[in-house]
Amino acid sequence: MEDLSKDVLVRASQGDMQAFEVVYKASNSFVYNVAFRVVNNREDAMEVAQEVFMVIHDKLKTFRYESSFKTWIYRITANHAINFAKKNARTKTVPFEESFGEGAVESDVHTKMEQEHNSNLVESLLAELNPDQRACVVLRDIQGLSYEDIAQALNININTVRSRLKRSREKLLSVRQKVNYEKV
Amino acid sequence: MKKCDHIKDLILTDYMDGELDQDLKHNVESHLLDCSDCRTFLKEVKENSIIPFNKDTQLPVPPQLWDAVKEGIAKQGHASDPIADFIDRIKEMIVFPKLVPVFATLMLMLFVGSVTLNNMQFQQAQATEQGEYLVSLLSITNPAQVENNDLGTPIEHFFL
Repeated sequence: MEDLSKDVLVRASQGDMQAFEVVYKASNSFVYNVAFRVVNNREDAMEVAQEVFMVIHDKLKTFRYESSFKTWIYRITANHAINFAKKNARTKTVPFEESFGEGAVESDVHTKMEQEHNSNLVESLLAELNPDQRACVVLRDIQGLSYEDIAQALNININTVRSRLKRSREKLLSVRQKVNYEKV
Repeated sequence: MKKCDHIKDLILTDYMDGELDQDLKHNVESHLLDCSDCRTFLKEVKENSIIPFNKDTQLPVPPQLWDAVKEGIAKQGHASDPIADFIDRIKEMIVFPKLVPVFATLMLMLFVGSVTLNNMQFQQAQATEQGEYLVSLLSITNPAQVENNDLGTPIEHFFL
């Protein structure tokens, strides 16, 4: 996510829509992609991302510049996505075992097909985790945030980040090992 | 075996995520050179739990999102409550929101202090009064005084 000058943030907080568009452009990819991976489907991700930007617009005037703006955006996005995922606990995605177990389509050599295959794999793997674990994995393994940034974004301590990542990875490992075992 | 468990924990977290300091990283790597079981575990974790996410490509943001955001903001603007806005502005003007709990604690301490002080003063007054009364009782040594205090009851006459 790009850094923004204080001047832009101040103007955006005063209702300058051009300045707010700069804020939007700097953060929309992060917000939309985190929302998409935590709620795990595109339509809901649109709804969450819209909500997040409305909250940013509304609360920008209370932002005190004591913490980093990036961390503030991470926190609002993660909170909204997790809450949405918890409220709408329906999982529209096909579970991992059905998608990538026996009979699943092998990945194509074509890059686009490979990307799509990987994207579906990620979707199915994330469907195995609860929203809190999902947010940790998305922020760490897809967005590349440090433990410290994840802890601040989710308002938890670093050891909780560690334990959530550990449990998630153990779970994913066991799911994939089970599928590989069944294939054999 | 115990060492392997510890190394596997680190593989699942700090080692994999580059959060270890140089010394610990070196320890893990020297263990990995000697332990094929932990090497296999590292490979499995990478392949199954990390690489698919690292390879994930970011989706392009749908262009209609910005329109939806602008529309939502416009609606929010129309629906905004002037009283709530005023309260928000007042809240912003209060620069020391974190002092509220400190102030509350101070008020509580003052209240408890004043109650305790009042109680002590009351007890002190009572003790003084009781003392004075006892002294007055002890000072009644003159039978004439006793007579004066005599209410004339038979039981009084018996004891006196």
